[in-house]
Amino acid sequence: MIRIRIVNYIIAAMFLSLSLWLFNFNVLQGRELRAQSDKNCVRLLPRWGARGAIYDRAGNLLAGNSLSYDVMVMPQGEGSRNEAIAAIAMALEKDQAKLNKAYRNNFIGPSLPVLVVSGISREQAIALEELKNDIPSIIVQSRPVRAYPYGSLACHLTGYLNQIDRWRLTKLEDYGYKTKDIVGFGGIEEKYDYYLRPDEGGLSFEVDHKGKFVRVLGFKPPTNGKDVQLTLDLKVQKIVEAALTDKKGAVVVMDPSTGEIRAMASFPNFEPGLFNKNVEPSVAGLINNPDALLVNRAISFAYPPGSVFKAVVATAALETGKIDPSSEFVCPGAAFIGKQKFECSSVHGAQNLTQALAHSCNIFFYKSGLMLGGQNIHDWAVKFGLSRLNEIDLPYETGGFIPSPRWRKVNKFKNWFNGDTANMSIGQGDCLTTPLQVTRMMAVFANRGYLVKPYVVQAIDGGDISAYQKKIISLGLKESTLYQLREGLREAVSTPKGTANALSGLPVAVAGKTGTAQAPPGRSHAWFCGFFPFDEPKYVICVFLERGGSGAMAVSVAKQIIAAMCAEGIV
Amino acid sequence: MAGMKKNHLLLLIYAVLIVLMGVTSIYSSTYQKEGLFWQSVYQRQIIWAVAGLALFFIVAFSNYRNLWDWTYFLYAAAVFFLLLVAVIGATRLGAQRWLRFAWFNFQPSEFAKLIVVIFLSRYFSKKEAANTSWLPVGSGLAGSVILPFIFVAIPALFIIEQPDLGSGMMIFLFFIAMLFLTNVKLKYILSFLIVAALPVPFLWHILRDYQKERLMVFLNPNIDPLGAGYTVIQSKIAIGSGGLLGKGWLAGTQSQLHFLPESHTDFIFATFIEQWGFAGGLVLLFLYYQLIRRGFIIAANTNDYFGKSLAFGISVMLGIQVFINIAMNMGLAPVVGLPLPLMSYGGSSMVVTFISLGILVSIDRRRAI
Repeated sequence: MIRIRIVNYIIAAMFLSLSLWLFNFNVLQGRELRAQSDKNCVRLLPRWGARGAIYDRAGNLLAGNSLSYDVMVMPQGEGSRNEAIAAIAMALEKDQAKLNKAYRNNFIGPSLPVLVVSGISREQAIALEELKNDIPSIIVQSRPVRAYPYGSLACHLTGYLNQIDRWRLTKLEDYGYKTKDIVGFGGIEEKYDYYLRPDEGGLSFEVDHKGKFVRVLGFKPPTNGKDVQLTLDLKVQKIVEAALTDKKGAVVVMDPSTGEIRAMASFPNFEPGLFNKNVEPSVAGLINNPDALLVNRAISFAYPPGSVFKAVVATAALETGKIDPSSEFVCPGAAFIGKQKFECSSVHGAQNLTQALAHSCNIFFYKSGLMLGGQNIHDWAVKFGLSRLNEIDLPYETGGFIPSPRWRKVNKFKNWFNGDTANMSIGQGDCLTTPLQVTRMMAVFANRGYLVKPYVVQAIDGGDISAYQKKIISLGLKESTLYQLREGLREAVSTPKGTANALSGLPVAVAGKTGTAQAPPGRSHAWFCGFFPFDEPKYVICVFLERGGSGAMAVSVAKQIIAAMCAEGIV
Repeated sequence: MAGMKKNHLLLLIYAVLIVLMGVTSIYSSTYQKEGLFWQSVYQRQIIWAVAGLALFFIVAFSNYRNLWDWTYFLYAAAVFFLLLVAVIGATRLGAQRWLRFAWFNFQPSEFAKLIVVIFLSRYFSKKEAANTSWLPVGSGLAGSVILPFIFVAIPALFIIEQPDLGSGMMIFLFFIAMLFLTNVKLKYILSFLIVAALPVPFLWHILRDYQKERLMVFLNPNIDPLGAGYTVIQSKIAIGSGGLLGKGWLAGTQSQLHFLPESHTDFIFATFIEQWGFAGGLVLLFLYYQLIRRGFIIAANTNDYFGKSLAFGISVMLGIQVFINIAMNMGLAPVVGLPLPLMSYGGSSMVVTFISLGILVSIDRRRAI
């Protein structure tokens, strides 16, 4: 019967087509649909370890961790999200619209929980935890956050933490950084982020259609970041910051024989803990402050060094034999170079090198500078580490700048005049140095002829890395040159007319050089850079006050610091 | 088994295998649900299967021709129960399909389907055992199409009114199939189809809102991913995520974590495929195909025209149900609420299917006599 055969064929065709469709779904589209099925029911709950702590050289905690409670919402359909957010808003007495906005901002993917409120109290966390029974998509999680036991102490050195920005993300994506990661900004936190960073662990688990937990699929325990130990001396840092309070500027204290930074402060400073709390107005205030709170003035801004630079000129003149220790120039209070009148701070009369250093006589250095020539001075300045990076292990260092006739010709197509040499000889003109560069330069005289590389981190995760950090280069200076320079720097303190004579009353023998760098318009920058104890220097100190007036202002801050260090018995 | 030939044994084995696949799938999709009821769902299914098997043997070893005499009584009973459902039936999931008895719910529409098949078989075959031939050879349009249509339409309309559009439309579908198989003239069938198609545009207004919605969603499930389209989308995901070999028994996330609604009844196919994959699906489709083919072979080999058309009707009924249900699971047919025979949880469907298979065996056993 033909009709039976037709129906038979139809039935066979029906089953064949079902098989083909099954093939289409399970084999051709299988992978895609499998992914959708996983997306349906697999959720990831990231767990962060604690970020590595930052200690000073004695093991005092500078930046550690404390527990913070976060409220997160698991994405699970719009209805359940609204329900969850409404419940959270009710429990925490927060604005629902704000929570919704936070949800949208923090959303990463359908399988990851979304942070809605961070930093709630323990009691609130417990209250929300009870809500979980009814609304399983609410997740309360504790998370270690940065804590700063000393508040703003050494804030520029440690840096702060914040959510990764676009620029850093593009740079660091290949190293496993993700959006919304918390990373270091500035200081040790940024430079050593790779070590400090905890490794993300997490829980992957299955949920049912209501977002309710079913079972754990996998767990990777998070690993804590590695601790970092600094060369910093907490006691010195405290003294330094106390002396700088309410001023604007920077202080660097360094061990001249190794380059270990003992203290580094920059003012005005900020409270790094504010970034954790993410209180928007206050954070915006930190970032937009016209005083550039977040910038480490010790390394990231360069200023004219003024008379502190004379130490370089003196060394160059002695080393090249342009003058000798007995050479004298008479200071009449002013001098004409070309048609321009260059003034000195007072009428010093006949001055030899040590006297000129002690009194900071401009005339002496104009003359020796002119004998050296601009290019020579520049080359010697570079030898002392100026006009180039210190390569300290901190980010955003600037190299400063020292001009030279050659540079002027090549880059500006202009001639170099004697007046430029004269200006340069006293650290003016286009000269720009950072306080750290000046510290490093002064360390050469303290340690008798070695240029040291400054560094901040001495150990990572208990392993001493100072062997890799230390870089000590002999400048090959003559014994006599060093002797003359050291004497001159000592006399600046010890002789009654020395510019830093205010330091003579201290229980320790200090040597150093002041600087009053003119930077019109506005007040001068005040510098003092010296070392102590004179015979066996343990510390080089550089005090810089931005628009602080004359060098004497810097000397008084230095005096306060050194006196306090003596009182604490650190020297 | 005494009195059973190899053919019948095969039929039984196919059916029992499918039932076992169904029970394991029901177990996997309900064992994680809370509550005594859900924990015991698979046990109830086993009880229904045992009851179905018992009825299968009783029917298989009795004379199917008794049904000839019982036809009008059965038809009247079917219409009566459908009427009863409309008046006092239990409402579940928005539809009034069940009659509540002491300890189980009885779904008359499942029985009505089989009774319509019996009725049509009797109608289309001559009474005398000596002169067996199809009725329509000599009858005109009125006798071969219009009159039986009226008899079919009465229970079918009750069922559609429940509302159970799926079962109602199915009855019309195998009505047409039986017209075709019983040699009703093609021009009659075509003219019936054309006349039946005319009121379709007006039918849209008769449809309930949820039925319209389902049809719209069938055309594009994504217009309502969390509402009516949700089931289809989840079902497709469940089927596809099974891949080649499936996720393994009790490892289906879609069905067990309740992403897939009705995973133990109408969408049991998706539940099964998620766990056993393409390979399992082929085995299942093969078993169903063999079951239905066996029915056709029995029909072809039977000389008694009542038995012949009864065997055709039962096979077509099974075939259409299986096809529409699986197509619905894959999103190829609208969601109409048809169970997958022998697999879906449900006593009425299980019992009716086993009785139908029993009738097939009974027909085959007697054709030689």
